Amino acid sequence: MVSLTLSDLSGAADPGDPADPAWAGVPAVTVPLAPVPVDAQPNAYIRASWADRPYGRTPTADVAAATVGDRLLLRLSWEGSGEAPGEFPDACGALFPGGQGPALPATMGSAEEPVTLWQWRDRTEAQQQAQPAARHLVARGPGVFRPAAGGGELSAAALRTGGRWAVVLSGPRDVLGDDARVAVAVWDGPSDERAGIGAVSAEWAAVVR
Amino acid sequence: MTGSTATGETTTSDGAARPRQLAMVFDLNKCMGCQTCSIACKVLWTREEGEEHHWWMSVNTQPGLGTPKDWESMGGGWRDGQPVPGHQPTRAEFGGGWKFNHQDVMFGGKGRQTHLQPVDTGDGTTRWGMNWDEDQGGGTYPNSYYFYLPRLCNHCTHPVCVSACPSGAMYKRAEDGVVLRDETVCQGARFCMEACPYKKISFNYVRGVAQHCIACFPRLEAGVAPACARQCPGRLVFVGDAADPHGPIHRLVHDWQVALPLHEEYGTGPNIFYVPPLSPARLNDDFSIDEETPRIPPEYLESLFGPRVHAALDRLRSELATVRSGGTSELLDTLIVYHWNELFGPYTTDPSTLDRSPERVAVQLGPTANRSS
Repeated sequence: MVSLTLSDLSGAADPGDPADPAWAGVPAVTVPLAPVPVDAQPNAYIRASWADRPYGRTPTADVAAATVGDRLLLRLSWEGSGEAPGEFPDACGALFPGGQGPALPATMGSAEEPVTLWQWRDRTEAQQQAQPAARHLVARGPGVFRPAAGGGELSAAALRTGGRWAVVLSGPRDVLGDDARVAVAVWDGPSDERAGIGAVSAEWAAVVR
Repeated sequence: MTGSTATGETTTSDGAARPRQLAMVFDLNKCMGCQTCSIACKVLWTREEGEEHHWWMSVNTQPGLGTPKDWESMGGGWRDGQPVPGHQPTRAEFGGGWKFNHQDVMFGGKGRQTHLQPVDTGDGTTRWGMNWDEDQGGGTYPNSYYFYLPRLCNHCTHPVCVSACPSGAMYKRAEDGVVLRDETVCQGARFCMEACPYKKISFNYVRGVAQHCIACFPRLEAGVAPACARQCPGRLVFVGDAADPHGPIHRLVHDWQVALPLHEEYGTGPNIFYVPPLSPARLNDDFSIDEETPRIPPEYLESLFGPRVHAALDRLRSELATVRSGGTSELLDTLIVYHWNELFGPYTTDPSTLDRSPERVAVQLGPTANRSS
């Protein structure tokens, strides 16, 4: 199992900014990603539409974790596909099983074992006025997402350098629960990836305090 | 065999209640393409940011590519009980929602160098729009032809959009069969837009949610007909319960069989029906009249309304002949609509008589939709 060691960034100038120099001192782990299985998709329409179409095109993501007081910060970085933007935005997310949850993150939770999803989407400033780029969801399967009730403030900041994204997600630290595991997901917008059509960690990563 | 209870509830011959289903019939012989229905809907429902290009109700000239552009080639629907993958219409394929160069023309001192036109935003949205190919139609002079086709969500009996939604935001109300979406749950995945074979779902790029015709459900709940129907100056839109055996919709669809669904082969069980258009006779090369051949090719109408369109047109022509020879026709009297409110079934309440205080009319689509599981 991959381990992520939490660093304390209390002294950083702006740890919510993925360009803050303090992140250079936080060890990042390269997490392998795999497509969410097509057989696990939640309905026949999505299974039929994507059965013969490649998706989950992001092979890895670099993940670093830190805390500032009672806030948990995750910095995700990955290489975008570089294809021209289409109808869907690039996006990433962090999945938390809390004190319980499925053995593997591949299906983004289930009806019986929901997981928390912090999701960021590339949204314009005008779009963010209507709906923020970061949203706090409950995932009960691939794309079976609903807004989470409560859950505390979630924020995100993103930086694109060339074709590479760096995103810092920041939310309440207690999302880690008792067993402190996390998985990450990446959606490649130009490939029409969204909902359960994306790439997710092959296994949970342990968050070491 | 069906009947009605004293309360108007529709029952089957064994007394079991049949689910109500809101349905509409558009008589295309009366549609003049004025777009009053489109504007009535636009003014009422899609005036907010992100909805500039939305036309939940739209009227297009047929033959034509329609809205979104070439929607009939985009797939979706059901075939042999399985969903058919479809294309999600893009923002450019919808087009419209333009911003105009008012500043230049009116105030910028360029009034003699330019004319009022949409500002090209470089994303293709100025190269198409609702009703873009108005009145182009088909055929060649002197036998050119066209007619108008109003379209809105079909509130299908088997809504593939509901089946395709991963988040469970979409549902079909039990009390009237209206297909709705809880916008607080919609995640903007847009599988509904792909799956809908009629491509009558739009995306709000600002709010990040899909949106479509809600059948004016707050009006229905107050006994008022949907705006598109009530505002139609041609008085061609019937509204009511599809299963009410005494209502004009049931009679037009099932008894007289002159009202047909659009693209029934899509398999979703649409609840919007159309009385197909009759047309004048073709002219021969010497400009004599070919009384036997209608100007709108029957095979084209069949491509829209299926093979039953021929019998429907025959029925209409037969009824017309009866009246012309001095007889009477209950079917034609129904389609003429001598009394306006006869169009609207149980939805005849005048909206001007309602409590229109801001508190009353504030509608939050998600929470107030009377959701059924």
